[in-house]
Amino acid sequence: MIRAQGLSKSFGGVRAVQDISLSVPEKSIFALIGPNGAGKSTLLNLLSGVYQPDSGDLVFENKKLNGVPAYARVRLGIARTFQKIRLFKQLTLLENVRAGFHIHQDAPFWEYLLRGNTGRFHKEALELLAFVGLAGRAHERAGALPYGQQRMLEIARALATRPRLFMLDEPAAGLNAAEMEFLLGLLEQMRSRGITVLVVEHNMDLVMNVAQRVFVMDHGVALFEGAPREVQANPAVISAYLGGEFAAQG
Amino acid sequence: MIAILAVAALPWLITTPYWRGILVVCAMNVLLALSLNLVLGYTGQLNLGQSAFFGIGAYVSTILVKTYGWNFWLAAAAAVGAAGLLGLALAAFAVRLRGHYLAIASLGFAVITYQVLINWEKVTEGVRGIYGIVPPVRGTLALFYVVAGIAVVVYVLMDNLVRSPVGDTLRSVREDEISAASLGVNAAVWKAFAFGICAGIAGLAGCFYPGFVGTLVPDAFNIVESFTMMAMVIVGGMGTMIGPVIGAIVLTFLPELLRGFGESRLMIYGLALTLVVLFMPGGMVQAWLAVKARWSS
Repeated sequence: MIRAQGLSKSFGGVRAVQDISLSVPEKSIFALIGPNGAGKSTLLNLLSGVYQPDSGDLVFENKKLNGVPAYARVRLGIARTFQKIRLFKQLTLLENVRAGFHIHQDAPFWEYLLRGNTGRFHKEALELLAFVGLAGRAHERAGALPYGQQRMLEIARALATRPRLFMLDEPAAGLNAAEMEFLLGLLEQMRSRGITVLVVEHNMDLVMNVAQRVFVMDHGVALFEGAPREVQANPAVISAYLGGEFAAQG
Repeated sequence: MIAILAVAALPWLITTPYWRGILVVCAMNVLLALSLNLVLGYTGQLNLGQSAFFGIGAYVSTILVKTYGWNFWLAAAAAVGAAGLLGLALAAFAVRLRGHYLAIASLGFAVITYQVLINWEKVTEGVRGIYGIVPPVRGTLALFYVVAGIAVVVYVLMDNLVRSPVGDTLRSVREDEISAASLGVNAAVWKAFAFGICAGIAGLAGCFYPGFVGTLVPDAFNIVESFTMMAMVIVGGMGTMIGPVIGAIVLTFLPELLRGFGESRLMIYGLALTLVVLFMPGGMVQAWLAVKARWSS
């Protein structure tokens, strides 16, 4: 679905991502894991177009993504959430999700100007809020939500773009056990609706439970790729996660 | 509807020529504040170039009428176009600059425009000014109805716009550009859109100014005017439709009502502004909502 070939990105001499090649299979849940500073978020920013790579190629459904800005990738069917939540805090939940329908608003401009057309996605926006467990709270201010629910709102807002590839940057960070359970359900439902999910994660439990394929990074380079079970058994991965001495014992 | 009737009835309540003149100024200020609010309040871009757009509207329309003998309304259309295009030019900076940097760039734009009006004497007559300008309609009363009528139309259209998906998009740019981009919003395009409309409407307001005063000098478009317009939006409540209207009315009449205090009126005016910004950061609209919430609970 999305393929990277030899992707690299440096920041002032720090090689955040070095020569990464990966291919995300369609309609699967693909996990990108690695310790802090491994370059996962940078890679996701390269895939979503927040950064452009220094070198390497990026292809989404046979279309080259190099040089395509972030906003234009959304129209191709790529959506994302952020590690540090970026909601429109001053706006209501409904306004947040409605803004997500931006690329699907197709009424001519004069209808908005002269006829007071308020867009045709009101009902769908409410359905998306219900989907992420925020039904009945459409008119609350996004910034006033508790942390876990802010994450859910960000997911609903991104889903409003109707992505075919949905990339989530540490969606489980800061969630309690119940919220985490709910998130797992959401990811499964997205996949069963035909959305390809790429999840950058720190939380091993989440990854092992839902991912079909796991890609491990450390210090900007690819460490290992395989099924969750293989990842758990791989000495290099264990070493990267737990430190050398544990790996030596295991 | 009630608002329209109130506007229509105003000249009967205010009968002296002087105060009727203030009404015309007030209607122009409402237009200027409404348009600035689209950029400042809804799109979140600090724009201190508003006095320049106002001035360009005034000069382009006047010169086309006086020197080239154009029909006023045709000249007004051209003036709106000219101001709108310069708004797009300023938007090019807004794409690259944020917050205070944009404020300084737009202020620079206003300073340059002001200097051009002073120094390009062949066209603008410089500080000598252009004299004997007649308004497009006879009499202060008629002029008030024309400008106030335009303000009402602009208000209604803009109210439609900010409640439509376009409004959602502008607010998303204001709140967080990276986030907006993740939803497919090309912030550059929407900033240009807001700046273009804002400048065009300010230019339209400018078309009526010279005829009302009868003369045209660059000083009317000093950068201080940009700050006054911004104060109207902030005092009233930016990012709301009614706020800038209230702000424009209050800040038009307040200095006039304070004339009895002589020179110290500027001090009182400044103090009042400071107090509003300190204690009602959301402007009068927010203060009113807070009072209402307290009463109902």
